[in-house]
Amino acid sequence: MATIEITNVSFTYRVLKNRSGSIRDLFKDFITRKAHVENYVALKDVSFTVDSGEVIAIIGKNGAGKSTLLKILARVLPPTTGTAKVSGSIAPMIELGAGFHPEMSGTENVLLYSTLMGRDVSKTKSRIQAIGEWAGVSDHMDFPLRAFSSGMVARLAFATATDETSDVLLIDEVLSVGDADFRAKSSARMDELIHQGSAVVLVSHDMNTVKKLATKAVWLENGVVKMSGPVDQVVTAYENQ
Amino acid sequence: MKHLQLVRLLVSRELTLRYKRSVIGIGWTLLNPMLTSFVLWVVFSYVFAGRLPDDQQYAPYLMAGIVLNSFFNQGLMLSAYSIQSNSGVLTKIYVAPQVFPISVALAGLVNFFIGLIPLAAVVYVSGQSLSLTFPLVIIVGFFLALLVAGIGLSLSLVFIRFDDTKNIVAILLLILTYVTPIFYPISVLSERMQRIVNLNPLTSYLDCFRWAFSNNATATINDWLYMSATGIFAILIGTYIFKKYWPRTVAML
Repeated sequence: MATIEITNVSFTYRVLKNRSGSIRDLFKDFITRKAHVENYVALKDVSFTVDSGEVIAIIGKNGAGKSTLLKILARVLPPTTGTAKVSGSIAPMIELGAGFHPEMSGTENVLLYSTLMGRDVSKTKSRIQAIGEWAGVSDHMDFPLRAFSSGMVARLAFATATDETSDVLLIDEVLSVGDADFRAKSSARMDELIHQGSAVVLVSHDMNTVKKLATKAVWLENGVVKMSGPVDQVVTAYENQ
Repeated sequence: MKHLQLVRLLVSRELTLRYKRSVIGIGWTLLNPMLTSFVLWVVFSYVFAGRLPDDQQYAPYLMAGIVLNSFFNQGLMLSAYSIQSNSGVLTKIYVAPQVFPISVALAGLVNFFIGLIPLAAVVYVSGQSLSLTFPLVIIVGFFLALLVAGIGLSLSLVFIRFDDTKNIVAILLLILTYVTPIFYPISVLSERMQRIVNLNPLTSYLDCFRWAFSNNATATINDWLYMSATGIFAILIGTYIFKKYWPRTVAML
């Protein structure tokens, strides 16, 4: 059975269309029926499956629906129609460091971030030192996060997010962070995670990365799957359009 | 189980963050109700102190009202805002979103319990002593937390969908504060007003609280029933509404 099974998934944002922002105009528009709720279709009839150990890349231009799709896979957004079955633990690597608070210490932030991702508190507690060391910020862990440089925050977020493997990895352009040294280290960690047998969904604009890591690719255009199949074919078609 | 761990972390974050950059930190939780009560006591004690029954004291009466009311008011607003202020997490990681409003309500409950310490001091200073019934305050706090969480859960979604409601709710809370016998004894009101004030569930919470803590009010069995019924009703309705409308609201975050 596939770990990720997306069947005929569509997603519509509802956007209120009216002339201006003022309440008076909005009220007038409603009476004269000029204001209306417009449906913006972000995804239409998308279907694919990902097995464990498989790496699938989602490619496409900005606004093609890649991030919306990733959020549906992360179970953050419910699909408007269709079904999205994702089994097992999910590690959403979408803008790392969600929930980091500048006034909390490094340790507290790691603990909360890990717990938000569904990991066990006592297990994380035993890992905190290692996470700090791996991120190269172990001497800062007791300071509030505002005392960290932005690179250090990014490193800590990356180290925390990638500390444990999950059944499903969702990756949105976070393959490498920090300075050159850390970049090499983090992309090595990423490679390692990707090849540990999880089902991986990767969103990237960098076709070299896509070709290097992914086995299959799905090309989205305006919310519709334009092409899907082996990564080389799809990427070639995408680049030659 | 996992939710419980997360709620514990969120409650402690809520408690420490509020006074993180202040010198005396959590000491403000002790000081705040005392200072507010003192100001109101200076203003109102001439008017209302003589209107209480003979065995009741105005200073603890007033302060009990303030401690309970600030739990309700602040808790409700913070809880209702909590979904929006944690949208960064909720749009990236799948977490049961209910943990945020509920954690805020629980943090309010902890603050409420801390506020009992200065209240106890005021009780003794004004010549009263704690009643033996004082552990019943835990029950009052529990139902008030249910009320806060329940209303907070429903409002948190309304706040996202209709921005204007934030201002409306602020006004409603102000009105509610004045129809709660916080700084006046209910006996000073006209009969008609008394009926309105008695309809307010917070009046029952407050009567139960004052009676249980230092026998500084009368609470009937009806007050206890009204209190528990409104608390349970609020949390049931709140979780129901939240569950029903969350899928449609999350895309607006």
